[in-house]
Amino acid sequence: MSPILEARELSKWYGQVIAVNKVSFSVGAGVIGLLGPNGAGKSTLMKLITGQLRPSQGEITLLGERIWNNYPLFHRIGFCPEQDSFYERMTGAEFLAALLRMHGYDEKDVRQRVDIALETVNLKEARDKKIAAYSKGMRQRIKMAQAVAHDPQVLILDEPLAGMDPIGRHETIRVVREWGKAGKCVVVSSHILHEIEAMTQNILLIHNGQVLAEGDVHQIRSLIDKHPHNIYIRCSEPRRLAELLVGFSDVESIRFNTDGKVLTVESRQPDEFYERLPELLLRHEIELEEITSPDDNLQAVFHYLVK
Amino acid sequence: MHASFSLVKAWRDVRTIAFLTLDTLFWSKKTIFVAIISILILGMSVLGRLIMAYRWISVPFTAAQVFATLMSTAVIHFLVVFVTLFYGTALISDEVEGKTLTYLFVRPIPKPTIMVGKCLALIWISVMLVLPTIVLSYFILYLRADMTQFMEDVNLLAKDMGIVFLALLAYGSFFALIGAWLKHPILAGLIYAFGWEGIVSYLPGFTRKLTITHYIQSIFPHQDSSTALAMLIGQRTDSVEAVITLVLLAAFFLATASLILREREYVLEQ
Repeated sequence: MSPILEARELSKWYGQVIAVNKVSFSVGAGVIGLLGPNGAGKSTLMKLITGQLRPSQGEITLLGERIWNNYPLFHRIGFCPEQDSFYERMTGAEFLAALLRMHGYDEKDVRQRVDIALETVNLKEARDKKIAAYSKGMRQRIKMAQAVAHDPQVLILDEPLAGMDPIGRHETIRVVREWGKAGKCVVVSSHILHEIEAMTQNILLIHNGQVLAEGDVHQIRSLIDKHPHNIYIRCSEPRRLAELLVGFSDVESIRFNTDGKVLTVESRQPDEFYERLPELLLRHEIELEEITSPDDNLQAVFHYLVK
Repeated sequence: MHASFSLVKAWRDVRTIAFLTLDTLFWSKKTIFVAIISILILGMSVLGRLIMAYRWISVPFTAAQVFATLMSTAVIHFLVVFVTLFYGTALISDEVEGKTLTYLFVRPIPKPTIMVGKCLALIWISVMLVLPTIVLSYFILYLRADMTQFMEDVNLLAKDMGIVFLALLAYGSFFALIGAWLKHPILAGLIYAFGWEGIVSYLPGFTRKLTITHYIQSIFPHQDSSTALAMLIGQRTDSVEAVITLVLLAAFFLATASLILREREYVLEQ
């Protein structure tokens, strides 16, 4: 089966700045997460996929056709941009209707599709409220609604969960998964691993405009696990805690900072470590003041991968 | 439903874009500014009428003379230029600044159609704001005037409205072009309108023909100081030729603006 979305040696540069560098991938039906830190080139890649930018080199095709200035193809693409920008004077329903008319629907179809889209993103109550009066979460949802209102085959969602409240996030994750199961090709970007994990197992890891890894999210997880995970602990008795931890096989090393109040533990199995720690602290009545892990983000994974 | 690129579909797309643009243009701050200029012109008409009625100055002049001066200086060289400059340059740049261009560019509408729809909105709003100002000024100035004179000059009013329409078309498409092309189009537009046009149109020789205002002056039906000056420095272009040139210029500017929109990548700042 031919892929829905395919990039071959795709590059995009702005003057001297390379935003996307010789990227090749192919995507079929289902949800794929485009994962990378801010500035990795995710948004540029999404703009290339949605035909807003023309490739500087290489090729990108959707359903076997080039995208740039291929207008009929846009009926099959839905795009939720990252930027929080709207025609503020319009109500949610007017905004959707105006954009739907551009797909050539008659007024009856437009009305029906507006209703369905508003229901999908749970905004029916606010349909006649001006977008300027929407909350951040509602604005994010109306942006999603305009992307899906014409029922496209391919959905490109740029940071769709940004600014959403927990209920909105939960709902969005649910509908994204449903679209994937329904056979749509959904490309969703984020710089937060657990957001992507909640939507799909299939990821494309991008950093400095290059694809570092492609495949199952568990592989990324195992990459994290392969490398010692740093955990900073500030507690009432750091030396005593160190004595207790040193006996565990997953603990690689323990260091103290200069004033001896903060403990840095290197563990190869952070999940087990986190599970064990509360019980250990309780049993020995050690008061925990702070626990942080600078490694618990993608930046660390990228650092490992490019090293 | 797949988009079919028939003429009917193209017209429907143009109309959809025009309505959307009309709404955003009309409710922008630019409209307040244009309204102020229109009110000032109406104020000048009232003043002219009062001077005529109460003979505040000793030199006698007629409603037709005041109307001609008003049309030439305030309407064509000021109101028309400002309306088209503000709205025309904003057609694309406002969408870029507001980062809403994305919503239009990911729809199955050819970018040239977007430009045509936007220009239609520009002409529409410009006509709605400028033509009533002219008609009202005419009625104010001819108030209580001799009915025969009033009816005779109605022909001139109709011609004026036609000329203003052509001027809106030519200037509007020109400013739409620089709005699609340049990052800071307002400044370039001001330099063009009040620098190039203001100076070159009064220079003798062929260079005058490189201005829009030359062709407008060529079909201007009134005799006022600026047209008299234009006649002094050289022949006017033939009326038919001037009208055709203005229409062709508008078509050329619109086609070029459409081409720029189609080929240019607009990078919206994140």
